[in-house]
Amino acid sequence: MKFLINPNRFNNFSNIILKPLIYLSIISLILGLVFSLYLSPNDYQQGLTVRIMYIHVPSAWLALLTFFIITIYSIIGLAFKISFGFIITSAVAPIGATFTLICLITGSLWGKPMWGTWWVWDARLTSVAILFFLYLIIIFLKKSFTNVNIGEKITAIFVLVGSINLPIIKFSVDWWNTLHQPASISKLSTPSIDPSMLRPLIIMTIAFTLIGILVAIIRIKAEILTRKLG
Amino acid sequence: MHTFNSIIALIIREFKINYRNFSDILSIFLFFLLGIVIFVFSIGENKEIFNEIGIGIIWTLILLSNNLSLRKFYQDDFNDNSIILFHISGLSYEIISLIKMIIIWIFIQLPFFIIIPLAVLLLNIETSNFHIIFLSFLIGSTIITCIASISGSMNLLNNKNFAIGSLIIMILSIPVIIFSVSLINVSDELIKAQLNILLGFMFFFLAITPWICAACIKLALQSK
Repeated sequence: MKFLINPNRFNNFSNIILKPLIYLSIISLILGLVFSLYLSPNDYQQGLTVRIMYIHVPSAWLALLTFFIITIYSIIGLAFKISFGFIITSAVAPIGATFTLICLITGSLWGKPMWGTWWVWDARLTSVAILFFLYLIIIFLKKSFTNVNIGEKITAIFVLVGSINLPIIKFSVDWWNTLHQPASISKLSTPSIDPSMLRPLIIMTIAFTLIGILVAIIRIKAEILTRKLG
Repeated sequence: MHTFNSIIALIIREFKINYRNFSDILSIFLFFLLGIVIFVFSIGENKEIFNEIGIGIIWTLILLSNNLSLRKFYQDDFNDNSIILFHISGLSYEIISLIKMIIIWIFIQLPFFIIIPLAVLLLNIETSNFHIIFLSFLIGSTIITCIASISGSMNLLNNKNFAIGSLIIMILSIPVIIFSVSLINVSDELIKAQLNILLGFMFFFLAITPWICAACIKLALQSK
């Protein structure tokens, strides 16, 4: 597991895994799209719009997961002085921002027919919007220092401060009365979603995760290369 | 005893410096008052509108004027290296940032207790629960001072992007604004719960701020 913290090992590992990952992500995306667009039923209330879920939910999960990964790597980078942690932060933050943006846009596209409005200021939506702004500030903060070393360390500290938002997003639907529904799928109970809809959701989640990892690997390799050159 | 003497010396020094540069601080309050005037002119003189949104305007302007205090925390001491002298005299960076926060709170937040009633008068807000406004400001201003201190210490070496410091303050103070503004309109049973949430935020930030500021100052000193 050394490839998770060592740039050279990571490069070797990524050279092996890159090709299969490309094929796997393409296959799973096509499979997921077929399942979510053709092989899953319409909702009896929401009709066709329920299919937005197959993009909305995976991107929301991955937006949270990306911030969690960034937080872990910031702790690793600051506590053990491993610079690979900062490489991960600067390479992965734009991916998380993209996932959050996809989640927000599909959410508002879903909200217009279902709730009758593009946007409401309820706890879940607000906290996810804050997550998006946090990602943007992380990206900008690193670029606003002439000295790269201090920039990435300060950014890591800001990531730690901003990670307070993660539990707030997770539990916002339970703590407040929100228009957004509470989680349908949790670890502790059986999912309150029909298997015919759960299947495409899981396939799409796998596809999104694979694409995210693929882009992340490419970005991290590029980041390692730029640091070697600079 | 030695540490205690250095703490007293640092406090006296900060008081002197802030007293001598009082016009800087006065201009922050002038910003606040001018902001209120601008709001009145841009919305139009309508009593009922200001009754509803007046508290929100006051809080927004308090936040914006605190953005101006960002560089008053550590920047001057960092630039002329006196922060290293404080450290040599036996104070850890955590203590230094705590003292700075207290001094800045006294000089920048405390005068708002005089200015907020003036703003309430100017906006014609008719309110019966003045003590709630003050209480929420007492707690909220502490949190905003903590956040401004975090942002100020993060941007010590940042000479490219000046807006990012204000961005950090604004995004971290969103919960403060949410809970302190809603405190005014909330029903009596919920006031205590909302106050507890705000107090929780306050203690959380009071606990983490010195450590974050100290870490940022050390990082900045290393690569100066």
